[in-house]
Amino acid sequence: MNEQEIIEKIAFNVIQGRVTEEDEGYDEGLEGQPAVAELVQMVIEQRIDAKKVVVNALTGSMETVGDKFDKGEYLIPDMLASAECVGAAMDLLGPHLADAGVQSKGKFVLATVAGDLHDIGKNIVGIMLKGAGFDVLDLGNDVSSERIVAQVKDTGARYLGLSALLTTTMREMGAIIKTLDEEGMRSQVQVLIGGAPTSQSFADEIGADAYCRDAFHAIDILKQMAG
Amino acid sequence: MIVIAEKINATRSAVREIIEQRDEGRLEDLAQRQVAAGAAYIDVNVGTGNGTRQDEIESMQWAVSRLLDATDKPLCIDSADAAVLEAGLAAMGGRPAMINSTKADVKYLSTVMPLAQRYEAPVVALAMDGQGIPGTVEGRLNACRAIAGACRDYQVPLASVFFDPLVLPVATDAGQGKVTLNTLAAIKAEFPEARTVMGLSNISFGLPGRPMLNAAFLQMAIYAGLDAAIMDPLNADMMQAARTGDALMGKDRHFRKYSRALRRQ
Ligand code: B12
Repeated sequence: MNEQEIIEKIAFNVIQGRVTEEDEGYDEGLEGQPAVAELVQMVIEQRIDAKKVVVNALTGSMETVGDKFDKGEYLIPDMLASAECVGAAMDLLGPHLADAGVQSKGKFVLATVAGDLHDIGKNIVGIMLKGAGFDVLDLGNDVSSERIVAQVKDTGARYLGLSALLTTTMREMGAIIKTLDEEGMRSQVQVLIGGAPTSQSFADEIGADAYCRDAFHAIDILKQMAG
Repeated sequence: MIVIAEKINATRSAVREIIEQRDEGRLEDLAQRQVAAGAAYIDVNVGTGNGTRQDEIESMQWAVSRLLDATDKPLCIDSADAAVLEAGLAAMGGRPAMINSTKADVKYLSTVMPLAQRYEAPVVALAMDGQGIPGTVEGRLNACRAIAGACRDYQVPLASVFFDPLVLPVATDAGQGKVTLNTLAAIKAEFPEARTVMGLSNISFGLPGRPMLNAAFLQMAIYAGLDAAIMDPLNADMMQAARTGDALMGKDRHFRKYSRALRRQ
Protein backbone atom coordinates (compact mmCIF):
# COMPACT_ATOMS: atom_id res chain seq x y z
CA MET A 1 0.00 0.00 0.00
CA ASN A 2 1.35 3.45 -0.80
CA GLU A 3 1.10 6.52 1.41
CA GLN A 4 -2.08 7.81 -0.19
CA GLU A 5 -3.85 4.45 0.14
CA ILE A 6 -2.84 4.02 3.77
CA ILE A 7 -4.11 7.48 4.67
CA GLU A 8 -7.40 6.88 2.86
CA LYS A 9 -7.80 3.52 4.59
CA ILE A 10 -7.18 5.10 8.00
CA ALA A 11 -9.83 7.74 7.31
CA PHE A 12 -12.25 5.04 6.15
CA ASN A 13 -11.67 2.97 9.29
CA VAL A 14 -12.04 5.94 11.63
CA ILE A 15 -15.44 6.53 10.06
CA GLN A 16 -16.24 2.81 10.37
CA GLY A 17 -15.07 2.91 13.99
CA ARG A 18 -12.63 0.00 13.77
CA VAL A 19 -9.54 0.09 16.00
CA THR A 20 -8.14 -3.39 15.34
CA GLU A 21 -8.43 -6.04 12.69
CA GLU A 22 -11.03 -8.16 14.46
CA ASP A 23 -13.37 -5.23 15.14
CA GLU A 24 -16.73 -4.99 13.50
CA GLY A 25 -17.46 -1.77 11.67
CA TYR A 26 -20.54 0.33 11.14
CA ASP A 27 -21.02 -1.65 7.92
CA GLU A 28 -21.16 -5.40 7.87
CA GLY A 29 -18.36 -7.78 6.97
CA LEU A 30 -15.20 -5.73 7.59
CA GLU A 31 -13.85 -8.09 10.25
CA GLY A 32 -10.36 -9.35 9.46
CA GLN A 33 -9.30 -6.37 7.37
CA PRO A 34 -6.52 -4.12 8.72
CA ALA A 35 -7.96 -1.32 10.85
CA VAL A 36 -6.62 1.88 12.40
CA ALA A 37 -4.03 0.27 14.70
CA GLU A 38 -2.54 -1.93 11.97
CA LEU A 39 -2.59 0.87 9.39
CA VAL A 40 -0.93 3.37 11.74
CA GLN A 41 1.72 0.73 12.39
CA MET A 42 2.39 0.78 8.63
CA VAL A 43 2.65 4.56 8.77
CA ILE A 44 5.35 4.24 11.40
CA GLU A 45 7.20 1.45 9.59
CA GLN A 46 7.15 3.31 6.28
CA ARG A 47 8.18 6.56 7.99
CA ILE A 48 5.22 8.44 6.58
CA ASP A 49 4.91 11.95 8.06
CA ALA A 50 2.75 11.56 11.16
CA LYS A 51 1.40 15.12 10.83
CA LYS A 52 -0.10 14.22 7.45
CA VAL A 53 -2.00 11.40 9.09
CA VAL A 54 -3.39 13.70 11.77
CA VAL A 55 -4.54 16.28 9.23
CA ASN A 56 -5.65 14.08 6.35
CA ALA A 57 -6.89 10.96 8.08
CA LEU A 58 -8.02 11.81 11.61
CA THR A 59 -9.38 15.35 11.82
CA GLY A 60 -11.41 15.30 8.61
CA SER A 61 -12.98 11.94 9.25
CA MET A 62 -14.24 13.01 12.67
CA GLU A 63 -16.01 15.86 10.89
CA THR A 64 -17.66 13.31 8.64
CA VAL A 65 -18.69 11.36 11.74
CA GLY A 66 -20.16 14.54 13.22
CA ASP A 67 -22.14 15.15 10.01
CA LYS A 68 -23.49 11.62 10.06
CA PHE A 69 -24.50 12.03 13.70
CA ASP A 70 -26.22 15.31 12.79
CA LYS A 71 -28.22 13.60 10.09
CA GLY A 72 -29.30 10.88 12.50
CA GLU A 73 -27.40 8.26 10.54
CA TYR A 74 -24.85 7.62 13.31
CA LEU A 75 -25.78 6.92 16.92
CA ILE A 76 -23.81 7.76 20.05
CA PRO A 77 -22.05 4.35 20.14
CA ASP A 78 -20.94 4.90 16.54
CA MET A 79 -19.44 8.29 17.48
CA LEU A 80 -17.72 6.66 20.43
CA ALA A 81 -16.26 3.91 18.25
CA SER A 82 -14.75 6.55 15.93
CA ALA A 83 -13.46 8.48 18.94
CA GLU A 84 -11.66 5.35 20.15
CA CYS A 85 -10.00 5.06 16.76
CA VAL A 86 -8.56 8.56 16.93
CA GLY A 87 -7.40 7.91 20.50
CA ALA A 88 -5.65 4.69 19.47
CA ALA A 89 -4.03 6.38 16.48
CA MET A 90 -2.76 9.28 18.58
CA ASP A 91 -1.33 6.91 21.20
CA LEU A 92 0.73 5.24 18.47
CA LEU A 93 1.65 8.43 16.63
CA GLY A 94 2.44 10.56 19.69
CA PRO A 95 6.13 9.67 20.02
CA HIS A 96 6.64 10.27 16.29
CA LEU A 97 5.18 13.76 16.41
CA ALA A 98 7.78 14.98 18.88
CA ASP A 99 10.85 16.93 17.77
CA ALA A 100 13.62 15.15 19.61
CA GLY A 101 15.80 17.18 21.90
CA VAL A 102 13.98 20.51 21.67
CA GLN A 103 14.26 22.63 24.79
CA SER A 104 10.96 23.29 26.56
CA LYS A 105 9.13 26.29 25.21
CA GLY A 106 7.21 26.67 28.43
CA LYS A 107 4.59 25.04 30.61
CA PHE A 108 1.17 24.55 29.05
CA VAL A 109 -1.83 23.46 31.15
CA LEU A 110 -4.58 21.89 29.05
CA ALA A 111 -8.12 20.78 29.94
CA THR A 112 -11.61 20.12 28.67
CA VAL A 113 -13.92 22.18 30.85
CA ALA A 114 -16.40 20.94 33.47
CA GLY A 115 -19.42 19.03 32.18
CA ASP A 116 -17.78 18.23 28.85
CA LEU A 117 -16.47 14.77 27.99
CA HIS A 118 -15.18 15.54 24.49
CA ASP A 119 -11.44 15.07 24.60
CA ILE A 120 -10.35 13.99 21.14
CA GLY A 121 -9.54 17.48 19.92
CA LYS A 122 -7.86 18.40 23.19
CA ASN A 123 -5.74 15.24 23.07
CA ILE A 124 -4.62 16.03 19.55
CA VAL A 125 -3.70 19.55 20.61
CA GLY A 126 -1.81 18.16 23.62
CA ILE A 127 0.23 15.74 21.55
CA MET A 128 0.98 18.31 18.84
CA LEU A 129 2.11 20.87 21.40
CA LYS A 130 4.30 18.31 23.10
CA GLY A 131 5.72 17.60 19.68
CA ALA A 132 6.35 21.31 19.19
CA GLY A 133 8.36 21.44 22.41
CA PHE A 134 5.90 22.57 25.07
CA ASP A 135 5.82 21.05 28.50
CA VAL A 136 2.15 19.97 28.46
CA LEU A 137 0.20 19.13 31.59
CA ASP A 138 -3.05 17.54 30.40
CA LEU A 139 -5.66 17.59 33.17
CA GLY A 140 -8.16 15.47 31.22
CA ASN A 141 -11.83 16.14 30.54
CA ASP A 142 -14.69 17.39 32.72
CA VAL A 143 -12.21 19.35 34.83
CA SER A 144 -13.62 21.78 37.38
CA SER A 145 -12.73 25.46 37.16
CA GLU A 146 -11.23 25.32 40.66
CA ARG A 147 -8.84 22.57 39.66
CA ILE A 148 -7.79 24.32 36.48
CA VAL A 149 -7.07 27.58 38.29
CA ALA A 150 -5.24 25.77 41.11
CA GLN A 151 -3.02 23.92 38.62
CA VAL A 152 -2.13 27.12 36.80
CA LYS A 153 -1.20 28.64 40.14
CA ASP A 154 0.83 25.63 41.34
CA THR A 155 2.77 25.14 38.12
CA GLY A 156 3.19 28.80 37.29
CA ALA A 157 2.26 27.84 33.71
CA ARG A 158 2.60 30.54 31.04
CA TYR A 159 -0.12 29.04 28.88
CA LEU A 160 -3.58 27.64 29.56
CA GLY A 161 -5.52 25.80 26.85
CA LEU A 162 -9.24 25.22 27.28
CA SER A 163 -11.44 22.99 25.16
CA ALA A 164 -15.24 22.80 24.97
CA LEU A 165 -17.39 21.07 22.37
CA LEU A 166 -20.81 21.85 23.73
CA THR A 167 -22.63 25.15 23.55
CA THR A 168 -23.70 24.46 27.13
CA THR A 169 -20.15 24.05 28.48
CA MET A 170 -18.29 26.74 26.51
CA ARG A 171 -19.55 29.30 29.03
CA GLU A 172 -17.25 27.66 31.62
CA MET A 173 -14.31 29.21 29.81
CA GLY A 174 -15.50 32.71 30.60
CA ALA A 175 -15.94 31.76 34.25
CA ILE A 176 -12.39 30.42 34.44
CA ILE A 177 -10.94 33.62 32.97
CA LYS A 178 -12.94 35.64 35.46
CA THR A 179 -11.56 33.58 38.36
CA LEU A 180 -8.00 34.01 37.07
CA ASP A 181 -8.69 37.73 37.07
CA GLU A 182 -10.09 37.73 40.59
CA GLU A 183 -7.14 35.72 41.88
CA GLY A 184 -4.77 38.27 40.36
CA MET A 185 -3.30 35.65 38.01
CA ARG A 186 -4.60 36.90 34.68
CA SER A 187 -1.35 38.56 33.55
CA GLN A 188 0.72 35.49 34.41
CA VAL A 189 -0.99 33.25 31.85
CA GLN A 190 -2.05 33.41 28.20
CA VAL A 191 -5.40 31.70 27.65
CA LEU A 192 -5.98 29.86 24.37
CA ILE A 193 -9.38 28.39 23.64
CA GLY A 194 -10.70 25.95 21.05
CA GLY A 195 -13.45 23.49 20.17
CA ALA A 196 -16.12 23.47 17.48
CA PRO A 197 -18.66 25.90 19.01
CA THR A 198 -16.04 28.51 19.93
CA SER A 199 -14.93 31.35 17.66
CA GLN A 200 -12.81 34.48 17.53
CA SER A 201 -15.77 36.61 18.57
CA PHE A 202 -16.50 34.31 21.52
CA ALA A 203 -12.84 34.55 22.55
CA ASP A 204 -13.11 38.35 22.39
CA GLU A 205 -16.33 38.30 24.38
CA ILE A 206 -14.90 36.29 27.29
CA GLY A 207 -11.48 37.96 27.17
CA ALA A 208 -9.39 35.00 26.03
CA ASP A 209 -6.02 35.76 24.46
CA ALA A 210 -6.55 33.59 21.40
CA TYR A 211 -9.03 31.41 19.59
CA CYS A 212 -7.49 28.42 17.78
CA ARG A 213 -9.11 26.66 14.85
CA ASP A 214 -6.91 23.62 15.29
CA ALA A 215 -3.61 22.44 16.72
CA PHE A 216 -1.50 23.96 13.90
CA HIS A 217 -3.18 27.31 14.31
CA ALA A 218 -2.35 27.04 18.02
CA ILE A 219 1.34 26.44 17.26
CA ASP A 220 1.42 29.52 14.98
CA ILE A 221 -0.22 31.67 17.62
CA LEU A 222 2.16 30.41 20.32
CA LYS A 223 5.07 31.37 18.07
CA GLN A 224 3.71 34.91 17.81
CA MET A 225 3.12 35.07 21.57
CA ALA A 226 6.71 34.03 22.24
CA GLY A 227 7.61 36.90 19.90
CA MET B 1 -25.75 -15.30 20.56
CA ILE B 2 -24.62 -18.30 18.57
CA VAL B 3 -27.68 -19.21 16.56
CA ILE B 4 -28.12 -22.88 15.67
CA ALA B 5 -30.81 -22.83 13.01
CA GLU B 6 -33.48 -25.41 13.71
CA LYS B 7 -35.61 -25.55 10.59
CA ILE B 8 -34.06 -28.57 8.85
CA ASN B 9 -35.75 -31.09 11.09
CA ALA B 10 -37.70 -33.98 9.64
CA THR B 11 -40.23 -33.91 12.45
CA ARG B 12 -41.65 -30.95 10.49
CA SER B 13 -43.81 -32.32 7.72
CA ALA B 14 -42.43 -29.98 5.04
CA VAL B 15 -38.92 -31.17 5.79
CA ARG B 16 -39.97 -34.80 5.94
CA GLU B 17 -41.20 -34.35 2.36
CA ILE B 18 -37.92 -32.75 1.32
CA ILE B 19 -35.98 -35.66 2.78
CA GLU B 20 -38.22 -38.37 1.37
CA GLN B 21 -38.29 -36.82 -2.09
CA ARG B 22 -34.58 -35.88 -1.97
CA ASP B 23 -35.62 -32.36 -2.97
CA GLU B 24 -32.24 -30.66 -2.96
CA GLY B 25 -33.53 -27.33 -4.25
CA ARG B 26 -35.81 -26.79 -1.27
CA LEU B 27 -33.22 -28.16 1.16
CA GLU B 28 -30.56 -25.73 -0.05
CA ASP B 29 -33.01 -22.86 -0.06
CA LEU B 30 -33.97 -23.54 3.55
CA ALA B 31 -30.29 -23.59 4.57
CA GLN B 32 -29.43 -20.42 2.67
CA ARG B 33 -32.34 -18.44 4.05
CA GLN B 34 -31.34 -19.40 7.58
CA VAL B 35 -27.72 -18.41 6.93
CA ALA B 36 -28.79 -15.05 5.49
CA ALA B 37 -30.85 -14.45 8.63
CA GLY B 38 -27.83 -14.89 10.88
CA ALA B 39 -27.42 -18.60 11.62
CA ALA B 40 -23.97 -19.71 12.81
CA TYR B 41 -24.75 -23.43 12.51
CA ILE B 42 -27.37 -25.27 10.45
CA ASP B 43 -28.96 -28.11 12.40
CA VAL B 44 -29.69 -31.22 10.32
CA ASN B 45 -32.13 -33.79 11.70
CA VAL B 46 -33.38 -36.28 9.13
CA GLY B 47 -35.15 -38.73 11.45
CA THR B 48 -38.54 -39.07 9.78
CA GLY B 49 -39.68 -41.64 12.31
CA ASN B 50 -40.86 -44.08 9.67
CA GLY B 51 -37.84 -45.88 8.30
CA THR B 52 -34.91 -48.02 9.28
CA ARG B 53 -31.60 -46.89 10.78
CA GLN B 54 -30.07 -47.45 7.34
CA ASP B 55 -32.67 -45.08 5.83
CA GLU B 56 -31.73 -42.40 8.33
CA ILE B 57 -28.02 -42.89 7.64
CA GLU B 58 -28.55 -42.52 3.89
CA SER B 59 -30.77 -39.50 4.36
CA MET B 60 -28.13 -37.88 6.56
CA GLN B 61 -25.39 -38.55 4.00
CA TRP B 62 -27.51 -37.07 1.24
CA ALA B 63 -28.52 -33.99 3.25
CA VAL B 64 -24.97 -33.27 4.42
CA SER B 65 -23.50 -33.60 0.95
CA ARG B 66 -26.13 -31.21 -0.49
CA LEU B 67 -25.69 -28.69 2.34
CA LEU B 68 -21.90 -28.62 1.99
CA ASP B 69 -22.43 -27.16 -1.49
CA ALA B 70 -25.14 -24.79 -0.33
CA THR B 71 -23.31 -23.03 2.51
CA ASP B 72 -19.92 -22.40 4.14
CA LYS B 73 -21.46 -22.53 7.62
CA PRO B 74 -20.78 -25.54 9.81
CA LEU B 75 -23.58 -28.05 10.22
CA CYS B 76 -24.99 -29.38 13.46
CA ILE B 77 -25.50 -33.11 12.98
CA ASP B 78 -28.59 -33.98 14.97
CA SER B 79 -29.67 -37.51 15.83
CA ALA B 80 -30.39 -39.72 18.81
CA ASP B 81 -28.48 -42.49 17.08
CA ALA B 82 -24.67 -42.46 17.21
CA ALA B 83 -24.41 -44.38 13.94
CA VAL B 84 -26.32 -41.59 12.18
CA LEU B 85 -24.13 -38.98 13.88
CA GLU B 86 -21.05 -40.79 12.67
CA ALA B 87 -22.35 -41.03 9.11
CA GLY B 88 -23.09 -37.31 9.11
CA LEU B 89 -19.69 -36.37 10.53
CA ALA B 90 -17.89 -38.59 8.03
CA ALA B 91 -19.84 -36.98 5.18
CA MET B 92 -18.55 -33.53 6.26
CA GLY B 93 -15.25 -34.34 4.51
CA GLY B 94 -13.17 -32.60 7.18
CA ARG B 95 -15.30 -29.45 7.41
CA PRO B 96 -16.25 -28.42 10.97
CA ALA B 97 -19.47 -29.73 12.46
CA MET B 98 -21.27 -29.84 15.78
CA ILE B 99 -22.77 -32.93 17.36
CA ASN B 100 -26.33 -32.84 18.69
CA SER B 101 -26.41 -34.54 21.19
CA THR B 102 -25.41 -36.70 24.12
CA LYS B 103 -26.72 -37.02 27.68
CA ALA B 104 -25.40 -38.40 30.96
CA ASP B 105 -26.06 -42.01 30.08
CA VAL B 106 -23.23 -44.46 29.46
CA LYS B 107 -24.87 -45.74 26.31
CA TYR B 108 -24.68 -42.27 24.78
CA LEU B 109 -21.45 -41.08 26.33
CA SER B 110 -19.54 -44.17 25.24
CA THR B 111 -20.62 -43.79 21.62
CA VAL B 112 -20.90 -40.02 21.15
CA MET B 113 -17.86 -38.79 23.10
CA PRO B 114 -15.40 -40.78 20.96
CA LEU B 115 -16.93 -39.06 17.91
CA ALA B 116 -16.48 -35.65 19.51
CA GLN B 117 -12.88 -36.53 20.23
CA ARG B 118 -12.11 -37.97 16.80
CA TYR B 119 -13.77 -35.19 14.80
CA GLU B 120 -12.75 -32.44 17.27
CA ALA B 121 -16.39 -31.44 17.16
CA PRO B 122 -18.26 -29.31 19.68
CA VAL B 123 -21.01 -31.36 21.28
CA VAL B 124 -24.41 -30.51 22.73
CA ALA B 125 -24.77 -32.25 26.11
CA LEU B 126 -28.21 -32.50 27.67
CA ALA B 127 -28.49 -32.10 31.45
CA MET B 128 -30.36 -35.40 31.83
CA ASP B 129 -29.56 -39.02 32.46
CA GLY B 130 -30.93 -42.45 31.55
CA GLN B 131 -33.85 -41.87 33.91
CA GLY B 132 -35.06 -38.71 32.24
CA ILE B 133 -34.98 -35.00 32.99
CA PRO B 134 -34.28 -34.24 36.66
CA GLY B 135 -36.79 -31.81 38.15
CA THR B 136 -34.25 -29.89 40.19
CA VAL B 137 -31.18 -27.76 39.55
CA GLU B 138 -29.01 -30.13 41.57
CA GLY B 139 -30.25 -33.13 39.57
CA ARG B 140 -29.47 -31.47 36.26
CA LEU B 141 -26.09 -30.28 37.52
CA ASN B 142 -25.25 -33.86 38.54
CA ALA B 143 -25.95 -34.94 34.97
CA CYS B 144 -23.54 -32.23 33.76
CA ARG B 145 -20.91 -33.45 36.22
CA ALA B 146 -21.20 -36.96 34.82
CA ILE B 147 -20.79 -35.56 31.32
CA ALA B 148 -17.76 -33.51 32.39
CA GLY B 149 -16.27 -36.74 33.82
CA ALA B 150 -16.78 -38.45 30.48
CA CYS B 151 -15.07 -35.51 28.77
CA ARG B 152 -11.97 -36.23 30.84
CA ASP B 153 -12.14 -39.95 30.06
CA TYR B 154 -12.52 -39.39 26.33
CA GLN B 155 -10.21 -36.36 26.14
CA VAL B 156 -12.84 -33.95 24.94
CA PRO B 157 -12.04 -30.44 26.20
CA LEU B 158 -14.83 -28.81 28.20
CA ALA B 159 -14.49 -25.82 25.88
CA SER B 160 -16.07 -28.01 23.18
CA VAL B 161 -19.14 -28.75 25.27
CA PHE B 162 -22.43 -26.91 24.97
CA PHE B 163 -24.45 -27.87 28.05
CA ASP B 164 -28.22 -27.75 27.56
CA PRO B 165 -30.01 -27.10 30.88
CA LEU B 166 -33.28 -28.26 29.22
CA VAL B 167 -36.57 -26.48 29.10
CA LEU B 168 -39.90 -27.89 30.27
CA PRO B 169 -43.27 -26.22 29.67
CA VAL B 170 -44.25 -23.77 32.39
CA ALA B 171 -47.89 -24.52 31.66
CA THR B 172 -47.63 -27.73 33.70
CA ASP B 173 -45.20 -26.44 36.34
CA ALA B 174 -44.69 -22.70 36.74
CA GLY B 175 -41.44 -23.33 38.64
CA GLN B 176 -39.71 -24.85 35.61
CA GLY B 177 -38.63 -21.53 34.13
CA LYS B 178 -36.50 -20.83 37.16
CA VAL B 179 -35.12 -24.34 37.29
CA THR B 180 -33.75 -23.88 33.78
CA LEU B 181 -32.39 -20.39 34.48
CA ASN B 182 -30.76 -21.41 37.76
CA THR B 183 -29.27 -24.49 36.09
CA LEU B 184 -27.75 -22.22 33.43
CA ALA B 185 -26.15 -20.03 36.09
CA ALA B 186 -24.93 -23.06 38.04
CA ILE B 187 -23.35 -24.58 34.92
CA LYS B 188 -21.57 -21.30 34.18
CA ALA B 189 -20.26 -21.14 37.75
CA GLU B 190 -19.04 -24.72 37.89
CA PHE B 191 -17.76 -25.13 34.31
CA PRO B 192 -16.67 -21.67 33.17
CA GLU B 193 -14.87 -23.00 30.08
CA ALA B 194 -17.98 -24.75 28.80
CA ARG B 195 -20.72 -23.01 26.87
CA THR B 196 -24.47 -23.32 27.12
CA VAL B 197 -27.25 -23.86 24.60
CA MET B 198 -30.96 -24.47 24.64
CA GLY B 199 -34.04 -24.85 22.53
CA LEU B 200 -36.51 -22.25 23.67
CA SER B 201 -39.96 -22.79 22.34
CA ASN B 202 -40.82 -25.63 24.73
CA ILE B 203 -41.16 -23.12 27.55
CA SER B 204 -44.43 -21.69 26.21
CA PHE B 205 -46.05 -24.96 25.08
CA GLY B 206 -49.77 -24.98 25.84
CA LEU B 207 -50.08 -21.24 26.52
CA PRO B 208 -51.34 -18.33 24.43
CA GLY B 209 -49.03 -15.42 23.56
CA ARG B 210 -46.13 -17.73 22.94
CA PRO B 211 -43.88 -15.26 21.04
CA MET B 212 -43.71 -12.90 24.03
CA LEU B 213 -43.07 -15.76 26.48
CA ASN B 214 -40.32 -17.12 24.26
CA ALA B 215 -38.64 -13.72 23.82
CA ALA B 216 -38.78 -12.88 27.53
CA PHE B 217 -37.41 -16.29 28.45
CA LEU B 218 -34.60 -15.98 25.92
CA GLN B 219 -33.52 -12.67 27.41
CA MET B 220 -33.64 -13.98 30.96
CA ALA B 221 -31.55 -16.94 29.81
CA ILE B 222 -28.98 -14.60 28.24
CA TYR B 223 -28.67 -12.89 31.60
CA ALA B 224 -28.25 -16.28 33.30
CA GLY B 225 -25.42 -17.21 30.91
CA LEU B 226 -26.85 -18.58 27.68
CA ASP B 227 -24.29 -18.59 24.83
CA ALA B 228 -26.20 -20.34 22.04
CA ALA B 229 -29.78 -21.08 21.09
CA ILE B 230 -31.38 -23.67 18.87
CA MET B 231 -33.98 -21.46 17.26
CA ASP B 232 -35.64 -20.30 14.07
CA PRO B 233 -33.53 -17.47 12.61
CA LEU B 234 -36.33 -16.65 10.17
CA ASN B 235 -38.34 -15.43 13.16
CA ALA B 236 -37.23 -11.79 13.06
CA ASP B 237 -38.72 -10.90 16.44
CA MET B 238 -36.85 -13.68 18.22
CA MET B 239 -33.62 -12.72 16.47
CA GLN B 240 -33.97 -9.12 17.59
CA ALA B 241 -34.88 -10.32 21.10
CA ALA B 242 -31.56 -12.19 21.12
CA ARG B 243 -29.62 -9.17 19.86
CA THR B 244 -31.33 -6.95 22.40
CA GLY B 245 -30.44 -9.31 25.23
CA ASP B 246 -26.83 -9.57 24.09
CA ALA B 247 -26.57 -5.80 23.72
CA LEU B 248 -27.95 -5.16 27.20
CA MET B 249 -25.46 -7.65 28.62
CA GLY B 250 -22.60 -5.71 27.02
CA LYS B 251 -21.85 -8.50 24.54
CA ASP B 252 -22.35 -6.39 21.41
CA ARG B 253 -19.60 -3.78 21.35
CA HIS B 254 -20.84 -0.39 20.19
CA PHE B 255 -24.29 -1.97 19.57
CA ARG B 256 -23.08 -2.90 16.10
CA LYS B 257 -25.29 -5.95 15.54
CA TYR B 258 -28.25 -4.44 17.33
CA SER B 259 -28.36 -1.21 15.38
CA ARG B 260 -27.41 -2.76 12.06
CA ALA B 261 -30.42 -5.07 12.31
CA LEU B 262 -32.74 -2.13 13.00
CA ARG B 263 -31.26 -0.21 10.07
CA ARG B 264 -32.08 -3.06 7.69
CA GLN B 265 -35.79 -2.93 8.49
C1 B12 C 1 -16.94 12.26 19.14
C2 B12 C 1 -18.11 13.03 19.70
C3 B12 C 1 -18.65 12.61 20.92
C4 B12 C 1 -18.04 11.51 21.76
C5 B12 C 1 -16.82 12.09 22.51
C6 B12 C 1 -15.75 11.06 22.79
C7 B12 C 1 -14.48 11.69 23.24
N1 B12 C 1 -13.68 10.91 23.92
O1 B12 C 1 -14.18 12.84 22.99
C8 B12 C 1 -19.23 11.13 22.71
C9 B12 C 1 -20.01 9.99 22.06
C10 B12 C 1 -18.85 10.73 24.13
C11 B12 C 1 -20.08 12.38 22.63
C12 B12 C 1 -21.06 12.66 23.57
C13 B12 C 1 -21.91 13.73 23.47
N2 B12 C 1 -22.01 14.58 22.43
CO1 B12 C 1 -20.73 14.70 21.02
N3 B12 C 1 -19.72 14.80 19.46
C14 B12 C 1 -18.66 14.14 18.99
C15 B12 C 1 -18.30 14.66 17.58
C16 B12 C 1 -18.90 13.69 16.55
C17 B12 C 1 -16.84 14.80 17.23
C18 B12 C 1 -16.01 15.67 18.17
C19 B12 C 1 -14.57 15.45 17.81
O2 B12 C 1 -13.89 14.65 18.40
N4 B12 C 1 -14.10 16.10 16.73
C20 B12 C 1 -12.77 15.92 16.18
C21 B12 C 1 -11.75 16.80 16.86
C22 B12 C 1 -10.37 16.52 16.26
O3 B12 C 1 -12.12 18.14 16.61
P1 B12 C 1 -12.36 19.21 17.76
O4 B12 C 1 -12.81 18.56 19.00
O5 B12 C 1 -13.17 20.29 17.22
O6 B12 C 1 -10.90 19.75 18.08
C23 B12 C 1 -10.10 20.48 17.16
C24 B12 C 1 -10.33 21.98 17.20
O7 B12 C 1 -11.61 22.35 17.60
C25 B12 C 1 -9.27 22.50 18.08
N5 B12 C 1 -9.45 22.50 19.51
C26 B12 C 1 -10.35 21.88 20.28
N6 B12 C 1 -10.14 22.13 21.57
C27 B12 C 1 -9.08 22.93 21.65
C28 B12 C 1 -8.44 23.47 22.73
C29 B12 C 1 -7.34 24.28 22.53
C30 B12 C 1 -6.63 24.83 23.68
C31 B12 C 1 -6.89 24.54 21.22
C32 B12 C 1 -5.71 25.35 21.03
C33 B12 C 1 -7.53 24.00 20.14
C34 B12 C 1 -8.63 23.18 20.35
O8 B12 C 1 -8.20 21.66 17.77
C35 B12 C 1 -8.68 20.31 17.62
C36 B12 C 1 -7.75 19.55 16.73
O9 B12 C 1 -7.76 20.01 15.40
C37 B12 C 1 -19.00 16.07 17.59
C38 B12 C 1 -19.42 16.59 16.20
C39 B12 C 1 -18.53 17.71 15.70
N7 B12 C 1 -18.74 18.01 14.47
O10 B12 C 1 -17.71 18.25 16.40
C40 B12 C 1 -20.21 15.80 18.49
C41 B12 C 1 -20.87 16.97 19.25
C42 B12 C 1 -19.83 17.90 19.78
N8 B12 C 1 -21.56 16.26 20.34
C43 B12 C 1 -22.73 16.76 20.59
C44 B12 C 1 -23.61 16.26 21.59
C45 B12 C 1 -24.99 16.87 21.64
C46 B12 C 1 -23.20 15.26 22.50
C47 B12 C 1 -24.02 14.70 23.66
C48 B12 C 1 -24.80 15.73 24.47
C49 B12 C 1 -24.93 13.62 23.08
C50 B12 C 1 -25.93 13.06 24.03
N9 B12 C 1 -27.16 13.29 23.69
O11 B12 C 1 -25.60 12.43 25.00
C51 B12 C 1 -22.94 14.01 24.52
C52 B12 C 1 -22.36 14.97 25.60
C53 B12 C 1 -21.37 14.31 26.49
C54 B12 C 1 -20.66 15.33 27.33
N10 B12 C 1 -21.14 15.59 28.52
O12 B12 C 1 -19.67 15.88 26.90
C55 B12 C 1 -23.06 17.93 19.70
C56 B12 C 1 -22.94 19.29 20.42
C57 B12 C 1 -24.07 20.21 20.05
C58 B12 C 1 -24.08 21.46 20.81
N11 B12 C 1 -24.76 22.40 20.26
O13 B12 C 1 -23.50 21.62 21.84
C59 B12 C 1 -22.07 17.71 18.52
C60 B12 C 1 -21.63 19.01 17.80
C61 B12 C 1 -22.77 16.77 17.52
C62 B12 C 1 -24.02 17.38 16.91
N12 B12 C 1 -23.89 17.93 15.74
O14 B12 C 1 -25.07 17.32 17.49
N13 B12 C 1 -19.80 13.12 21.54
